Amino acid sequence: MKTLWPYLRRFWRAELVATIATIIMAFASLWQPHLLQQVMAAIIANRQQQVLHLGIELIVFAALGIVAGVVNTVFSARAAVGIATALRSDLYKQVQSFAFADIETFAASKLVVRMTNDINQVQGMVMAVFQIVARVPIMFIGALTLALLTVPSLWWLLAIMLIIIVVIAIVGMKRMSKYFGAIQARIDDVNTIARENLMGVRVVKSFVQEDAQIKQFTSASDKMNALAIKIGYTFSVMMPGFFLIGYLAMATAILVIGQSLRVHPAYLAAVASFTGYLMQLLMAVINASFIASGTTRAFVSLGRIGEVFAHKPSMHYPDVPVVNLPGSIEFDHVDFSYPGASQPTLHDINFKVAPGQMVGIVGATGSGKTSLAQLIPRLFDATKGVVKVGGSDVRTLAAGSLRQTVAMVMQRSTLFSGTIASNLRQGKPDATTRDMHWAADIAQSSEFIRRLDAGFNAQVEERSANFSGGQKQRLAITRGVIAHPKVLIMDDSTSALDARSERLVQEALDRELKDTTTVIIAEKIASIIKADQILVLDGGRLIARGTHKELLKTSPEYRAIYQTQKAREGVFADA
Amino acid sequence: MHDLKVAGKYYWHYLRAYPWQFLGILVAVICFATSLAVAPTYMGAAVRDLTDYLRNGASLNQFYRDLGIMTLLYIFSSLGDFSTSMFMSWIGGVATGKMRTGMFRKMQKMRVEYFDTHSDGDILARYTSDLDNIFNAMNEAFVQLIYSIAQILGIVIMMFHNSVPLAFITMATTPLAIIIAAVNIHQAGVAVDRQQDDIGDLNGYINEQITGQKVIITNGLQQDSIAGFEERNARVRESSLRGQIWSGVLQPLMNGMMLLTSAVVIFFGSWFVLQGGLQTGVGLALIVAFVQYAQNYFQPIVAVTSVYVQIQLAITAARRITQVHEQPEEKRPEPGLAVSTVHDALTIEDVHFSYNPGTEVLHGVTMTAKRGQMVALVGPTGSGKTTVMNLLNRFYDVDSGRICIDGVDIRTMNLDALRKTVGIVLQDPQLFTGTIRANISFGQPDASLAAVRDAAKQANIDDFIMSLPDGYDTEISDEQSVLSTGQKQLVSIARTILTNPQLLILDEATSNVDTVTEERIQKAMDNVIAGRTSFVIAHRLKTILNADRIEVLRDGRIIEAGTHAELLANKGFYSSLYRNQMVFD
Repeated sequence: MKTLWPYLRRFWRAELVATIATIIMAFASLWQPHLLQQVMAAIIANRQQQVLHLGIELIVFAALGIVAGVVNTVFSARAAVGIATALRSDLYKQVQSFAFADIETFAASKLVVRMTNDINQVQGMVMAVFQIVARVPIMFIGALTLALLTVPSLWWLLAIMLIIIVVIAIVGMKRMSKYFGAIQARIDDVNTIARENLMGVRVVKSFVQEDAQIKQFTSASDKMNALAIKIGYTFSVMMPGFFLIGYLAMATAILVIGQSLRVHPAYLAAVASFTGYLMQLLMAVINASFIASGTTRAFVSLGRIGEVFAHKPSMHYPDVPVVNLPGSIEFDHVDFSYPGASQPTLHDINFKVAPGQMVGIVGATGSGKTSLAQLIPRLFDATKGVVKVGGSDVRTLAAGSLRQTVAMVMQRSTLFSGTIASNLRQGKPDATTRDMHWAADIAQSSEFIRRLDAGFNAQVEERSANFSGGQKQRLAITRGVIAHPKVLIMDDSTSALDARSERLVQEALDRELKDTTTVIIAEKIASIIKADQILVLDGGRLIARGTHKELLKTSPEYRAIYQTQKAREGVFADA
Repeated sequence: MHDLKVAGKYYWHYLRAYPWQFLGILVAVICFATSLAVAPTYMGAAVRDLTDYLRNGASLNQFYRDLGIMTLLYIFSSLGDFSTSMFMSWIGGVATGKMRTGMFRKMQKMRVEYFDTHSDGDILARYTSDLDNIFNAMNEAFVQLIYSIAQILGIVIMMFHNSVPLAFITMATTPLAIIIAAVNIHQAGVAVDRQQDDIGDLNGYINEQITGQKVIITNGLQQDSIAGFEERNARVRESSLRGQIWSGVLQPLMNGMMLLTSAVVIFFGSWFVLQGGLQTGVGLALIVAFVQYAQNYFQPIVAVTSVYVQIQLAITAARRITQVHEQPEEKRPEPGLAVSTVHDALTIEDVHFSYNPGTEVLHGVTMTAKRGQMVALVGPTGSGKTTVMNLLNRFYDVDSGRICIDGVDIRTMNLDALRKTVGIVLQDPQLFTGTIRANISFGQPDASLAAVRDAAKQANIDDFIMSLPDGYDTEISDEQSVLSTGQKQLVSIARTILTNPQLLILDEATSNVDTVTEERIQKAMDNVIAGRTSFVIAHRLKTILNADRIEVLRDGRIIEAGTHAELLANKGFYSSLYRNQMVFD
């Protein structure tokens, strides 16, 4: 609620209009039984003129109800859509202010859900609130008051009816929410089996397990059905039950009125209006119980949106001027652990890289290579020690200084939908066609870009589905080098290239980016064999450092990695 | 129209099994609609009785009788409502269950081709959203529709029975209401489609940006990202506003029409009483009854407009599921020749194959694996290695040529027997949610724990499984990763070992796993190959060196074959591939 409050205030005008319209609508509905009562009384008294007058009044009220209804919908929609749009926009800006650690805390996919589904839930709720919810209490109180005013002696009947209905509603809803929770798990089971059978169709067929899978699926489906039927049964009892109670109350009311007619002859005209109020009261309670179960979901969503707003970005950049930095890198007793992790990922890492050097990082999966590399462009902050780029602690640098100095090509190459050019401009906003050609030549992407009709203006589809893995990597490298960075980090970013292309990329880097410091994380030792220094990581520790030749002599771990790769990939042509 | 026919056939197929239940529904609906239609007349009668009692001193007996009948009618209508709902819940649940398992059953018989050419998401949507739409339609929309029709019929009859002019007056607003509803539904449909498109676009954008947030951060693109977002967000704002207004306005409009109709009925009713010389009591009774009718008459019209969309979704769903049922099934010779082992050799004879007609991917491939031999297939990506594997246990059938075991075409063999004879280890080790034990005994669900452990030992994974707190009963699933990729591979190898296939197809994993696991996988692969006739898509040098024969595929043809030494001596494609130290992928 705290999350929603400022937004509710921002759209107070639309909300006010919507609420006033609701009140008018409610009164138009409430006033009708009352006018009906007056019409009946006038007929009994045979007052023609008054009947005509009341008739016109009735039609005017009905027309007013329609106009109010339309106005209410329009302004409810304005408020709901306006709030959702503003909320989504602020949420997006908040997420863009996050450092990578913050995004990982929430998980990217969950953040997406919060900006889409959760916001939709809130929008739906706001809409419902101003369209229906506001009317429910008005109708409830109005119908109750008018019913009591019409036939005051029947208060006990109203009380009994309401108590029974509320009890049934509460019991029914409780049962229902229990079933709903249970059926969700059953639905998941069914979908899991279906999904796994789609993905594993070859496994199922080759082990001839079709029948066994059908049996398993049928049993899961039956369990789900049993619950669905139970939910249906509960509804089958509840809804007719509500109405039956209403009808019985109506009959009782008519009976009591009939018996007391000698004392209160005027009640005759009230029969129709009182029963009208009874039914309106009933509908108000039914609506309330359905809305109550609907809004709980929206409140859960609101809570999750609130969490994102409440999260303070974990990283701040100092407000200092952007400067040009040389390409040196230094790690000074650096420890690092991921937020929430119990074990540190990197221990006491120490090394220096001079501008223009090539550094290779090798080690088994999980040894901390990527974590180490991510500290250089300050995707994360070291938990202990200092990371320096161009001689300055990265925490003292403006974001702009770091971005123009360090470029990083990730393990999984991410391109954005748009054109090749729009993706390359992410690396250098004012890139000319010449820049693009130059970068594409280095990354060996010219060859396939040239074959595209639109060249650099070729479309990149969502998830860059129209490019192969190798092409994506080459485009990502093109984007990485286009701004001629002082430091280039390549995190296993040539894994989908064949050996020849990989070699050509490396040669081009040597030639065109001589003064650039390159940090290359590689699975294959062949990729970094020529590095000025190779860092060997094991379990988050830097266990050896040197050139390939030195390490073969000094590091048994390095030798071991080298041996297994030799066995797997054949002879190293130039080792 | 075509959709409607297809949907009709589909529902008929599944619903005709419940004639008695539908008869029950029919009775219940008639009971419900009649009672509800007649009851207001008795309420009116009760008011008339009271007027007589008050004015002419009549006794209350008639009043009690009419009120009693009214009460009974309302009870009947509630009972009818209750029974219809109960029946429909049952039918809805059971029939959708049958539809769900029917589709699953069908899918188990379909060809692999269908699954290779359709996205998992699209197929899965048939289990989730399509069946959901059908279930909702059966539980809400169909009941609502039956009710509404019955109710309107009942009310119209009763209205004319009570007073022809008032009946016409009550129905006078109906054409207007229908026009309003039709225009509104159409506009809402257009607006909501637009809204969904724009929301889809925005969601896609958010998804892409947030997933690529590392790139955004390292390139400092936050402001650009926000700008792109704001543009799409503004579009969503415009189109949702239209969508929400058009779809939200129907209910108040229809409620308003109901109020208006009641007002008109009251107005004209009283005018009749005062002008037409109707007796006051009778007139009051008519007005009371018709106010009820006006409201009960509009309820079903409102209901029908709101279920319209649901029913459309259910029709589309039926069409989409019918598409699945129309897919061709695997050809199964029945009973077919039984096969259990390879006595002499497996031969591939001049096989041509294409996934899409016109683009052949295998152009006359011939090779032989003698009993006990290991044949390695090597070649660059796209050369057709995987396709050859797909043909061996008939995931796909050859276009021409044949594949034989001991000289017998595999297409004449019993398919289950063939697949039990041919074991397969895939590169991507697909496991299933359940215990580790259930996964290893997947091909032989009744295997003893000892047999399962024995297979796991050969696959080099027993010690790891035993180190887990729950051992073989450890639950695994997609979401929680108890097992690493390499360990999953080992489990999948154990799974194949347990079924003891005579002929083995093995696609070696290329994924980067740590050195220890890689060693284990190598040993496990060696164990599973030992003593069996096998085809291996080889990536490891060691496998290739150990092969009895190497077949080199390129562009759908075998260009060289022989042992490693022979091929190197040839100085052909293989030797250049090898010397170029290209990874065999």
